[in-house]
Amino acid sequence: MDTAALTEKVAAKAVPIYIMGKRYEVPEALTIMKAMEYAGYQYIRGCGCRGGVCGACATVYRKAGDYKIYTGLACQTVVEPDMYLAQIPFYPANRATYDFESAEPTPETVFKLYPELFRCVACNACTKVCPMDVEVLDYVSALKRGDLKAAAEISFDCIQCGLCASRCMGEMAQYHIAQLARRLAGGKLAAKAEHLGKMCADIEGGAFADLLGGLKSMSVDELKKVYTEREMEPHMGADEWTPASSHGLA
Amino acid sequence: MPYTPELKELIKAVERTRPERVERKRRGEEIPFLSLDERKERLKFHPDFKEEGRRPLQVGPSKGYAIAHEIADLLEAGSRVDPDRIDLSAPAYTTDVLVIGGGGAGTSAAILAAERGANVILATKLRHGDANTMMAEGGIQAATKGHKDSPYFHYLDVMGGGHFTNVPELVETLVTQAPDAIRWLEHQGVNFTKQADGTLETIHGGGTSRKRMHYAADITGAEIMRTIRDEARNHADRISVLEFSPAVELVLDESGHCAGAVLYNMETEEYFVIRAKAVIMATGGCGRLHIQGFMTTNHYGATADGIVLGYRAGVPVAFLHTVQYHPTGIVFPEQAEGILITEKFRGAGANLVNVEGNQFVNEREPRDVEAASIIKECVHEGKGVPTPTGRLGIWLDSPMIEQLAGEGTVKREFPGKYILYKRFDIDISKEPMLIYPTLHYQNGGLEFRPSGETCVPGLFIAGEVAGGIHGANRLMGNSLLDIIVFGRIAGTSAADYLAAGVSEGKLSLDHVRAYNAEVDAAGVSDGRVAPAIIPNYTDPAVRERQLTAHYVGNVR
Amino acid sequence: MTIGYYPGCTLKTKAANLEVAALAALDHLGIEVAELPRWNCCGAVFSLATDDLIHQVAPVRNLIRAAEQGCDTVVTICSQCYNTLARANRLVREDAEKRDTLNRFMTEEPDYAGEVEVVHYLSLLRDRVGWERLRAAVTNPLTGLRVAPFYGCTLVRPGDVAIDAVDPAILEGFIAALGAEPVSFTAARECCGSYQMIAHPEEGLRRAAKVIAAANASAADALILSCPLCEYNLGTRQGDVVAAHDGLEHVPTFYFTQLLGVALGLDPELCRLDLSGPAATTLLTERKYIAAATA
Ligand SMILES: Cc1cc2nc3c(=O)[nH]c(=O)nc-3n(C[C@H](O)[C@H](O)[C@H](O)COP(=O)(O)OP(=O)(O)OC[C@H]3O[C@@H](n4cnc5c(N)ncnc54)[C@H](O)[C@@H]3O)c2cc1C
Ligand code: FES
Repeated sequence: MDTAALTEKVAAKAVPIYIMGKRYEVPEALTIMKAMEYAGYQYIRGCGCRGGVCGACATVYRKAGDYKIYTGLACQTVVEPDMYLAQIPFYPANRATYDFESAEPTPETVFKLYPELFRCVACNACTKVCPMDVEVLDYVSALKRGDLKAAAEISFDCIQCGLCASRCMGEMAQYHIAQLARRLAGGKLAAKAEHLGKMCADIEGGAFADLLGGLKSMSVDELKKVYTEREMEPHMGADEWTPASSHGLA
Repeated sequence: MPYTPELKELIKAVERTRPERVERKRRGEEIPFLSLDERKERLKFHPDFKEEGRRPLQVGPSKGYAIAHEIADLLEAGSRVDPDRIDLSAPAYTTDVLVIGGGGAGTSAAILAAERGANVILATKLRHGDANTMMAEGGIQAATKGHKDSPYFHYLDVMGGGHFTNVPELVETLVTQAPDAIRWLEHQGVNFTKQADGTLETIHGGGTSRKRMHYAADITGAEIMRTIRDEARNHADRISVLEFSPAVELVLDESGHCAGAVLYNMETEEYFVIRAKAVIMATGGCGRLHIQGFMTTNHYGATADGIVLGYRAGVPVAFLHTVQYHPTGIVFPEQAEGILITEKFRGAGANLVNVEGNQFVNEREPRDVEAASIIKECVHEGKGVPTPTGRLGIWLDSPMIEQLAGEGTVKREFPGKYILYKRFDIDISKEPMLIYPTLHYQNGGLEFRPSGETCVPGLFIAGEVAGGIHGANRLMGNSLLDIIVFGRIAGTSAADYLAAGVSEGKLSLDHVRAYNAEVDAAGVSDGRVAPAIIPNYTDPAVRERQLTAHYVGNVR
Repeated sequence: MTIGYYPGCTLKTKAANLEVAALAALDHLGIEVAELPRWNCCGAVFSLATDDLIHQVAPVRNLIRAAEQGCDTVVTICSQCYNTLARANRLVREDAEKRDTLNRFMTEEPDYAGEVEVVHYLSLLRDRVGWERLRAAVTNPLTGLRVAPFYGCTLVRPGDVAIDAVDPAILEGFIAALGAEPVSFTAARECCGSYQMIAHPEEGLRRAAKVIAAANASAADALILSCPLCEYNLGTRQGDVVAAHDGLEHVPTFYFTQLLGVALGLDPELCRLDLSGPAATTLLTERKYIAAATA
């Protein structure tokens, strides 16, 4: 439903918010994103997925009479009366270019690409500002001690909105370093899936060419029959389950 | 906002039937799947089957083909800019390959083309990665476990899901390249959920006969997108990215080959030309057109632009008469409307139940059947749950998962959704979610071949903008798969096309002029322009007061 | 009473040879410590170089982590970490104004007023085990090994965090308990020079040379260290130091914990001699403290 229709229903209850210092009355149940659209803004920057995963809509706000900095995703955060907000649609950040193929999954790789890692003073502003509740300081600490796997896990929910970088006393862009750690951990430290390699080899060896050729040349009715009769893997069963017939397998 | 007292009262019906439903689930008792005939009957409740929802196209290569009004409105529209005002003699950029769209399909195409030595410009509407790909949660299909699965079964499932209308050659390519696509992603460093020995975890999805849905916690798409975006950035020497620069028109050359595009800098409001030897169209879907007024799961830029551009250049559309509604989108709280609740909740055991607390459909039917069943239950059986704003929904009983798989499972397996609801003071490990079908995926699109080519030489296609792979209905997990498989193919094919030598003719927008003339002659445009670029969410009252603002379509 | 263990970053990367044997030894001696589940860098990179309050945030946060775990004591092995944590703790205890500022700054953490005791591993050994008991636990005495004890800066400066304040010969006591012979060594409390290596590399090398020369003068067989930076300048870089200064002789360096492991008869693998220079292994095998094959 668009904002206009929403508004109709809730129009009675309007609350004041301050967009970059300027007061607007908006319906109280809207997200910051919809409230800004309601107020007349048309997004070019600052809006991507509208679902809380792309990190385009990082927003910083304060509340009247409160010294604290609050943050949220505009697409996810509901307006509050008297909030003073500004979006940070872009914040410059240093990202190191590297050759992933030859990069060793070692602490030194990270240290060389991002020496600024060691400028962390553990002020924790990054963790406090993260709208996804990622323990940023914890993954930065893990990186400093070379624990790429821990850093990959702790940083997993990061949506790279850049708010951590905007607040960092050490002037680093934590989220780029975390991305490097996740790739090294996922691509080079985690065990590779053996079954995957085997299936790729079977396909390259042409193991299914005839089977698929057969399916492609079937009439729709024949195909429907094979489809309906195919065996279903039980829902709650174990991974090791095997079908009764080996037809269709390599 | 938390559930209202009225809704809390209604939740009691769900709680009353829960113990028994949990028991049934434990015993493996399910509501039987519909037979193919029953499916057909059920689908009559699907929005695609509403005759008043569509109309035959009056112009273009697929004239006479009936599709949703909202898409037809864009195809039966004039161009945003008068072709005569564009100076084709001085392109702002010249490159080997122009990739249009910075989602998963575009990004993998760019990487593969660059690896083969091509210089690439990737132009995208929002930021690189602001795309439907980023939003995918549930998973990516591939038959990787040879002891029980193979491309054979995957093929059957894809065809059955698509009601046997899919283009067989495209399906064959999809399922045979699938394991290699997963291997590529694993190699690039995507953190798939795995066992310690490297075995990939896999689960069922709607319409799968084998558990072949691979995933990365509940942010599979984001994990894939950010990983391959990082890889594209590592190729900065060959891939330049232009953000906030949507393509608004394709450019052909005098021999009819695709030779670039006209783009729009949304910030400085300039139009400019990129000349390229090959173009890869990867602009994704159309959810933001809000077909039949449905809410949507899609990102802000999903406005079917690529279809408009390709269609004007002469590429027919296929399977566009069907649109996928994801069965489970949030309908309450309204601030989160349309946001997708992944099928994995149902995969993990959560039931769909009506206002009386009763199940009415197997939770693993193909999406269109599932969505049609929910609409039927709400609209035709009168068993929907009313929301405070007068909409209807169905309960998705997430607390069951805690009982089936142990306390804490919901928070652990679905951290994203758990947090989202927590913000509204709803604890989905204790209270069910209220859902309704939401506009999710554009099943059809531009016609193309397994090689990524189209009928226009030099124009390649990949991703959600394409039509044919999924027939009339896509199964969960096959779209993330298709964007990687066909994205890589398009990148490779475009590079091969360059290698074979491209003669560079004079640039032309004559096809746009001709199209505009056809639209005028048919008298159908009503002054509309396309592509839409972004949806229009400005309050109409505000718009009316913007007395000197000049809107072309939705964009000011 | 629980003792929290704060490892510090370097022990998890380059200086595993400082950590592994030390933990195995505590286990062997029946002293229970638990690594803090969450910790960050001790802050050493900055805190020694400036008196900016922000640089006390990192060490104090670690102490809060320890308090959170219900620890009344936190032990460290790296002397750098020890120094940083102990100084921050002292500051919190003694300077009410700064304590208040730090607590206000870290509103997301519980207030901290110095409740946790920071001890160095050597003090823990001396006070909780005792040299007598340690001597009794030694099954492989390092008889005849002349060991020069190197305190460097961080174990003994500034005075109010010095681990030798009550017992000016703590390392000597330790060496003797292992059955080895502590040699008197004029450079024991000198600076190793590592802090100077970047800005004034010449001076850094000169200082290292002074330490090696003193070790040579006291006819030491080995030099023991407690700090990864000392190990870098006196161990890793020793070849350069010896080459640049006439008349110096190479002297093998060990972390004190490695010799502890050897003397307790722990599996030599745990001592990670592979991370120390080859001379270290050669010395121990030649003197038959460890078997050649296992080295
Ligand atoms: C919420 C959600 C959940 C999903 N979950 C799953 C799932 O679990 N499994 C699965 O397989 N599939 C899932 N899908 C579907 C799948 O994610 C998408 O179909 C797929 O990612 C599309 O990829 P794409 O690269 O073709 O398009 P997109 O990822 O949408 O990328 C298209 C890009 O092109 C840009 N663009 C658009 N127009 C223009 C223009 N004119 N010029 C330049 N750029 C333009 C867009 O802004 C965007 O960046 C989900 C989709 C959504 C929305
Ligand atoms: S718009 Fe993507 S996170 Fe808000």
